[in-house]
Amino acid sequence: MKKLVKNFAHFYYSRPPAHKMPEAFAKINSRNLFRKNSRGTILIENVIFIILNVIFLSIIILFLARQSSGAYVLEESYAKQIALIADYGKPDMLVKIDLSKGMKVAENNKFNFADAVNVDGNVVHVKLRDDGGYSYSFFNNVDLGEPYPDTDENGNYNGLYVITISEKNVLENEAQND
Amino acid sequence: MIKGKTGTDKVVSVYWFAVIVIIAGGVFAMAYSFYGHPYDVREIEGDILANKIADCISVQGRLNEKLHSESGGFDGNFSDDFYSICNFNFNSESDYGWDKTAQYFTEINFYNLSDTENSVFEIKKGNMNYKQDCYMTDKKNKDYKKFAKCSEKRIYALDDSGKQYLIKILAGVAKTEKNVKL
Repeated sequence: MKKLVKNFAHFYYSRPPAHKMPEAFAKINSRNLFRKNSRGTILIENVIFIILNVIFLSIIILFLARQSSGAYVLEESYAKQIALIADYGKPDMLVKIDLSKGMKVAENNKFNFADAVNVDGNVVHVKLRDDGGYSYSFFNNVDLGEPYPDTDENGNYNGLYVITISEKNVLENEAQND
Repeated sequence: MIKGKTGTDKVVSVYWFAVIVIIAGGVFAMAYSFYGHPYDVREIEGDILANKIADCISVQGRLNEKLHSESGGFDGNFSDDFYSICNFNFNSESDYGWDKTAQYFTEINFYNLSDTENSVFEIKKGNMNYKQDCYMTDKKNKDYKKFAKCSEKRIYALDDSGKQYLIKILAGVAKTEKNVKL
């Protein structure tokens, strides 16, 4: 009984005043939470689950990125775009078309970007790899000459391709349609 | 084999695995259906063709001078020299044998305003077999995409004497193999 009274007295007299209680509680709580030997619960399943989710999302994003910048898709898209430009264009026009994605694909495939676009008569050929390529024809009887890649101040390709539209020989035109 | 893993957790994992498989399947299917089909540019091509023909036939609201014959009326030579006058080349690449069969066609009809049923002059060029595809308007038909795409334009123009004509231009592009997944 004596011991109990002694303990109560120690607790009563050593406790902080009422207006300081919240701070004291916080002290006690932080001491308990961050003490050295506390054993926390490691949610290893959750960590694995999150890692797997991140891997899964990365695979999907990579897959979509590869699909959208695949050589075949770009070859088709560029060939049709250039053919439509030729259809709509008029002589003495100079058109610069952005093929920067194609330039990266050609570099990855170790293919010379300067050979990416060729025009044979009224057919556009686009090639971004050694084995492949896509052709599309246009009906406007204009001469696209020899399209060439544009360069920056240092002479490096900047991803643009230059197409000059000029008039075709009339006699050649008649011969083609006969 | 994780300590403390309950039966419920395992069920949740299987459920999430199923969800991931379904999502992955959906993404792959969408990507395949989007990138696995060629870009269909025939409608744009047909529109450009019809516009170019209109530009050739009517210059600032007046009929092309080459359409007039010396004796009055329309000059049949315009039809013969249509490609060179209007600067067209209906040849296509050799893929799918397109170099042997034209993939474009056009039909141009000129009407007096007093009679818009019977044309007074007409020009037909290209592969006219595709003309019937223009009347296939049932989009529910599973073969609808395989038909040639057409563009129709109506313009008015004056001749030298100030007579007004209605001109109906029908232009079409086939090129099915390179614009539709068959």
